[in-house]
Amino acid sequence: MKHFTTDIVIGLEIHAELDTKTKLFCSCPTHGSEEPNTRTCEVCLGMPGSKPVLNKKAVEFALKLCLALNCEISPELIFSRKSYFYPDMAKNYQISQYEIPLGKNGSLKLREGKKVGITRVHMEEDPASLIHPAGMKESAYVLVDYNRSGNPLVEIVTEPELESPEEARDFMKQLITVLNYLEIFDINEGIIKADANVSIKESNYARVEIKNITGFKEIERALVYEVNRQKEEAKHHKKIEQETRAWDSENGVTFSLRKKETEEDYGYIIDTDLTIVDIEEKWLKEIKKEMPELAQDKVRKFVEKHKLKKEDAEILAAEKELAEMFEKVAEEINPVLAAKWLRRELVRVLNYNKKELHEAEIDEKHMIDLLKLVENKKITDNVAAKILEKLVEKPFDVKEYVKKEKLEAVSDIEELEKYCREAIGENPKAIEDYRKGEAKALNFIVGAVMKKTKGKATPKEVNEIILRMI
Amino acid sequence: MESIHNLINKIKAQEIDIVEHTYKLIEECKEINREYNYLNIISEELALNQAREIKVQLKQKNKNIKNKKLLGVAISVKDAICVKDVESAAGSKILQSYKPLFDAFVIQKVKEEGGIIIGKTSQDEFGFGGFSVNVGIGFKVPKNPFDMERSCGGSSGGAAGISQKLSNHVALGESTGGSIVEPASFCGVYGLCPTYGRVSRYGLIDFSNSLDKIGPMGKNIEDVALLMSVISGYDKNDSTSLNVKDDNYESYLKKPIKGMKIGIIKEAFGSGVEREVEKNVYNGIEELKEEGAKTEEISLELPIKYGIATYYMIATSEASTNLAKYCGMRYGASEKLEGSFNEYFTKARSNNFGDEAKRRIILGTFARMAGYRDAFYLKAMKVRTLMINEYKKAFKKFDALVSPTASILPPKFEDIEKLSPLQHYMIDVMTVSPNVAGLPHLNVPVGFEKNLPIGMLLIADHLQEGKLLQFGSAVEKGK
Repeated sequence: MKHFTTDIVIGLEIHAELDTKTKLFCSCPTHGSEEPNTRTCEVCLGMPGSKPVLNKKAVEFALKLCLALNCEISPELIFSRKSYFYPDMAKNYQISQYEIPLGKNGSLKLREGKKVGITRVHMEEDPASLIHPAGMKESAYVLVDYNRSGNPLVEIVTEPELESPEEARDFMKQLITVLNYLEIFDINEGIIKADANVSIKESNYARVEIKNITGFKEIERALVYEVNRQKEEAKHHKKIEQETRAWDSENGVTFSLRKKETEEDYGYIIDTDLTIVDIEEKWLKEIKKEMPELAQDKVRKFVEKHKLKKEDAEILAAEKELAEMFEKVAEEINPVLAAKWLRRELVRVLNYNKKELHEAEIDEKHMIDLLKLVENKKITDNVAAKILEKLVEKPFDVKEYVKKEKLEAVSDIEELEKYCREAIGENPKAIEDYRKGEAKALNFIVGAVMKKTKGKATPKEVNEIILRMI
Repeated sequence: MESIHNLINKIKAQEIDIVEHTYKLIEECKEINREYNYLNIISEELALNQAREIKVQLKQKNKNIKNKKLLGVAISVKDAICVKDVESAAGSKILQSYKPLFDAFVIQKVKEEGGIIIGKTSQDEFGFGGFSVNVGIGFKVPKNPFDMERSCGGSSGGAAGISQKLSNHVALGESTGGSIVEPASFCGVYGLCPTYGRVSRYGLIDFSNSLDKIGPMGKNIEDVALLMSVISGYDKNDSTSLNVKDDNYESYLKKPIKGMKIGIIKEAFGSGVEREVEKNVYNGIEELKEEGAKTEEISLELPIKYGIATYYMIATSEASTNLAKYCGMRYGASEKLEGSFNEYFTKARSNNFGDEAKRRIILGTFARMAGYRDAFYLKAMKVRTLMINEYKKAFKKFDALVSPTASILPPKFEDIEKLSPLQHYMIDVMTVSPNVAGLPHLNVPVGFEKNLPIGMLLIADHLQEGKLLQFGSAVEKGK
């Protein structure tokens, strides 16, 4: 057993759906009708006499992931039967991989640069989905929908090297970024789930497994809850038992599924309905050639070509959609300005709205229109930020909107002087204070002018005019 | 005896009314079945519909109809092979009333070539046996066509029996460890078990995926060659299907065997083999010699010594996973819905699997458990490779190897009852090894003793079914 020293030890087993058109072992579509049990055939229903035929595209997708995660790739792809009885299993065994996974000994970097080891990456088929009509614990019966049965999955197993729920979240986030860059995962509809092994120092690292956590936001929630639960138990000198728990997202708690003394025995044997697939060098070369630019490639490019600071480049590259938007915007707008607006303002507004970029409708066209106006000083930063907030909510034609709402910056010097004169006249006390040496009082006058112009003037310019006048 | 070819020609010339002919055959099947239990299901409706369709097409002088290789030929199908809309249960209560939604690859081929499906033949449950006495709960045991107190052999017992009893018919059997040749031997018919992968397994209800093979059985070797030519070939839906050039099987019939070499497997004769069996197999070998074949003894220690152990390790391991899907949930037998899913699955499996199925599930599950896998399942896979190597070495020198198909005459049911499970397994001693090695093998009837048939087993190298047919037809000619 590994010798742990950190307060918290977390390892993840992540299942991600590969975005192929058809299932892993039959030609049923992975997308389409949501009507239960319509995207099925004898193979994914496990009917007697049916046989699996491997979807090569899914293997290519999995190989891309192995390459991106710096894995050693097995020269042979071998599938095994993982046997256990469960109502979501069409055959009561799952076609998976055992002794020799497709990829092993890989790694993935967290945002701050920490390298997390990847034990293995393997392929398997998804079981059916179970629907508990009256909730998971209470339902007297379950409904089974085989539409998902046989969808291709990759399982990514990390080393127990994550030290906090935040790191676990970040790992998931980074992994999703990689999957997204590789275009092997449907960022909108694809399912990504994790089982987490978590233990704490106080309990001498008794391992608790939490099953079925969906998405990277949930993983942090579930782990924060579980770590606190374990710490609380330890504080009261309760022994933490090795067990398997489930995450109840609705109530924000984990609950015990089963205590386990020993590892489950799945009685793996090779699935001889499938032949061993050679992963030939030639095939790998072709796949490598097709590999899209990954985040690290983008960072390098942004720094070298667009002269961005490394830190800005990293933030932009961390999300495929943001990086791609930046590249398009940077064709028309000064890249440094574009980077500043995308990584700061756009990200800020998205965070505020709790949206991911791919969920918002705003596109590069809106950003180019908006930043052109900023670049040419047609609108102020203030106004632009406000427009951006609205754009994230619902996009519109930026140029028309600015015209209609008369948001162009007041650059007519005479008009500005008029506003300044008015403000000085209306605030004699402030002028007096300023003259007495209270520098701050000037800001009050500038504020008054900004109010009159509805923010369409730049404070710096207003400041200069007022100084000239008084 | 008249071969199928003559029948097909008469049907094509419309000298025989195909509907009337089929009707008569079905009635004959019913008659035979009353005593012998060869058919679990007689697919009368399907057969007559097919016959009517052929009749219409013949009348309309449809151009393609004359090219159909099996036009109007009655084909029986081992219960484990799926026929669309016809109950296909692999002889098990747990699949009773299950009607597949699709045809097995071989059934598609048979139908395309105008073959008429007459029913599903009886077998040991899922193929688990060598005497067809391990039929599923509620199924009937087929009886030997020469002596009703004796076994047909198994597991394709029904297929072998009906091949002997019903003329103008060919059977589709299936072998995992000898289930084609052994019953063929006990019923005095030809049975060809092809190279693993030569005939698609798509639609075959699995026993052991790396061992299962579908093959033809029949009274004449020409009929066996004909059906083989229909069912063999690449199938993209079976990943283990071999994508190789198809052979013209019928072209090997009656081809001279002069100068060809046959290895007599030393360990397959002598102690443990009944004298009558040995004598008749040697007669068969003599006939081959008379036709000009050269023979020589060869020692094949590994296959005879370790065949049974290797076979049962692999076959039960795979079978125990294949049978997991039967849990009373999606098809086949069901039970009253009560308790947790685990309790329900247990009830469905306890009440609907027969004893031998349960025994093999337990054996196979044990062999794949952590801590035992290396010693049993993985070791068996390694021995299998060694066995293949030993055979391959022999085939550098020989065109075929020969042994008795079964070491005993068809046994009486009352004697079978006295056998322990292990003694029961030993019946496969001659046949398991070529099955484990995926080698094609053929049963050739070579004589009778006490009015019971005796068969000779010929084994050839991978994809050399042609040579087997060549030798087989040489013996047939000699008779």
